[in-house]
Amino acid sequence: MRRFQMPPQILRLVLLTLAIVGSYMVARAFLTPATFGQYGWYRGAALEELAARTPVYAGKKACDECHSDILHKLAGDAHKTLSCEACHGVSRTHAENPDVLPVKLTGSHCIRCHEANPSRPAWFKQIVVKDHYSGKCTECHIPHQPTQSP
Amino acid sequence: MNTRFNRRGALARLGGILAGVLALPIARTARAAVQRVFVSSGAARGYDPSKHKWLMCIDVNKCIGCGLCVEACKKENGVPEGPYFRTWIERYIIPKPKPGSGQTRGETLVDCPNGGMHGFPEPPLPRDQIEHSFFVPKLCNLCEHSPCVQVCPVGATFDAPDGAVLIDPNYCIGCGFCIQACPYGCRFLSPVTKTAEKCTLCYHRITRGLKPACAEICPTQARIFGDLLNPVPDDPIQKFYEQNRVQVLKPHLGTAPRVLYAGLDKEVR
Repeated sequence: MRRFQMPPQILRLVLLTLAIVGSYMVARAFLTPATFGQYGWYRGAALEELAARTPVYAGKKACDECHSDILHKLAGDAHKTLSCEACHGVSRTHAENPDVLPVKLTGSHCIRCHEANPSRPAWFKQIVVKDHYSGKCTECHIPHQPTQSP
Repeated sequence: MNTRFNRRGALARLGGILAGVLALPIARTARAAVQRVFVSSGAARGYDPSKHKWLMCIDVNKCIGCGLCVEACKKENGVPEGPYFRTWIERYIIPKPKPGSGQTRGETLVDCPNGGMHGFPEPPLPRDQIEHSFFVPKLCNLCEHSPCVQVCPVGATFDAPDGAVLIDPNYCIGCGFCIQACPYGCRFLSPVTKTAEKCTLCYHRITRGLKPACAEICPTQARIFGDLLNPVPDDPIQKFYEQNRVQVLKPHLGTAPRVLYAGLDKEVR
């Protein structure tokens, strides 16, 4: 009876396959980032990298630290839903250093929302600016308490 | 010394190579496990993505089309100048039907000048011909089954455990598949980074306990941002559910968005 002998071409194929699979696994082990697969099929560290950006808008809470009196006034009137930075603009630098003042406001801030437009909801207070008044908005309206006059 | 190439020696060498190859991924898995411990304990910032589920509710009846959200988004996220938006406002104008046309309404006009960032001009129709007109703020719909994630060939875009759909800018190859796949048109190829960009729900803000810039700045609170897993006292999200019947965009696509709208019209896509 003849002893079984692995045909040399098969042995070569097996070795070649192992070499290819092996080099793939080695390459994969080195090239895949450490956090890949931490939460799913993506790099887990990307979450922290995206979260690492510095916020631009300071947020109403930051304003409340010094200006709680104004925020209290604001909360009692029609502009209660407004964020400070909606009118005063990005105020992060002001929040960090009170000497840097936020942008000076003009009447265009009022008109941006309150100019009449048929697409605006009917409940929202709107004016046709040219028929309304030609002077400054603040002559008759207090921005923080819009239903009151100075 | 016997230097003849024999089977025993060859098998031993082969075994050695195999063991070496297998040891590498095992070492890597061990390293990852160690890192995972570090990440969860290193959450000094106190943010664990698995403990949140964010959603956005939009009340179309409250949107006044001022464009402050679009401007805030651009400033907050450094979105490039020009027709690139992570959030934008569309204006829908539904005219009255022509008399005798037998239709309930005229053909809808939709416009979005510069994303609505600088407000909207007077409508192109006289007021008495308009039946309905309203603004619809748009952003990433935070799909539960995101088509954009499914098509990404490199694993650069993903559903984070907290529900945000994010892009890994270091991994994105800018192929643009996701831009085509998003049924809501919420992605664009940034001319600056040459990678896909989209609304991240202001990930750098929400992980610090702030609201996204658009929700922070919206003067009428048309956008309400909340966390399904951590209800706050007097939760605005809960109030929104109680006061409104909600709807999502393109429900027939089965994307299961987590951006809920109140007061939509059938014309809104």
